[in-house]
Amino acid sequence: MRREHPLARVEREVKLAPHHRLDLVREVDADVRAMQAEMERRGYSPAEARREAIRRLVPAGEVVEQLEDRHAPGLGRWLRTDGRSLQADGRADRVTRLGVGGAAMLGGAVGIVATVRPGLSGTAMALSWALVIVFALLVANLARVAVQLWVRGDLRARQRRLFWARHAGLIVAAVALGAVGAAWEGYQVLTNTGQVDSSALLAWETAGTMAHFAATGLAAAIFGLFGWLSVSPRLIADQEIERRITEFFAQDRARLTLNISASSIHESKGEP
Amino acid sequence: MTQITLSKRINELLVLAVLDSGPAHGYQIALSVEERTAGAFSFQHGTLYPILHRLEAEGRVRGEWHGRGRRRKTYEITEAGRAELTSGAAELERQFRALLGLLRGTHAA
Repeated sequence: MRREHPLARVEREVKLAPHHRLDLVREVDADVRAMQAEMERRGYSPAEARREAIRRLVPAGEVVEQLEDRHAPGLGRWLRTDGRSLQADGRADRVTRLGVGGAAMLGGAVGIVATVRPGLSGTAMALSWALVIVFALLVANLARVAVQLWVRGDLRARQRRLFWARHAGLIVAAVALGAVGAAWEGYQVLTNTGQVDSSALLAWETAGTMAHFAATGLAAAIFGLFGWLSVSPRLIADQEIERRITEFFAQDRARLTLNISASSIHESKGEP
Repeated sequence: MTQITLSKRINELLVLAVLDSGPAHGYQIALSVEERTAGAFSFQHGTLYPILHRLEAEGRVRGEWHGRGRRRKTYEITEAGRAELTSGAAELERQFRALLGLLRGTHAA
């Protein structure tokens, strides 16, 4: 069975930004090794020395929460204010949920102003409202990413992929709705040929509505793309640090495998 | 000033007292506290790190990374930390005198 690094669980559980996690893992690991060596010098067996060092130095339980409080981003710390009390009654979560909801409503309002126009036909009106909802969801998704990054400080790779998948889906939906709306407007006019023949002005108006639909869908998609681009530098930096964390634990595993093979060679040769 | 519990205050002062004798790594601080208090105080389950990081954020100790590859962090006390140690020790002494006086029934109101 593969032995897990004693800090791997802490790294998985602690809700901190990657650079804080990397620093913590490096600091504690170096201290555990040094303390183990010191304990061995004092007569402990290697296994006992390691156990003692881990017991004294590896954060567990409440200490992990204290570290989260200490290294939470400024806004997150302010929301936690008096530590546990705010967390316990869930006020911090409610505040962030309200923030995300507020951003989504604001996005929806902007979407209504930009998209919904009086005089649209039933289907076109439904498509407009769908576009409004997609825009609001894009804003909400970005707000949730921002909360994870700048309030909670921790957006893990799995969550990041989930947010991006949702965001990409919404961007595609915005473009699709814009295109379908525009096509629908055009189709309406084409199937009603009498109206086209009767007025060039109406044709011009139809072209305007089609362009408006397409432009609104495209604008929502561009907003989504640029919104994601604006958080990308932080996401890329986090990804790079997470790669270093993975590398750190991989090196430890490689060293452990080498130690185990070396000791089995000694044992097979009958050496101590 | 932020309200902190007495045990937190004592832990902070223990760390500052160890660092007052010279820069040290985290594990050295933990071992030194245990040795110098004859085991009366000890840091378990990483309790040392939130304290060190808080003191560092407040500018009472300075943490510095050394080495390449497997880097290690060394802490040293700052002037603010020394001042805090002096005032904190005096304050703690006053509080414990009062407490012991009360416990032994010699406290004059």
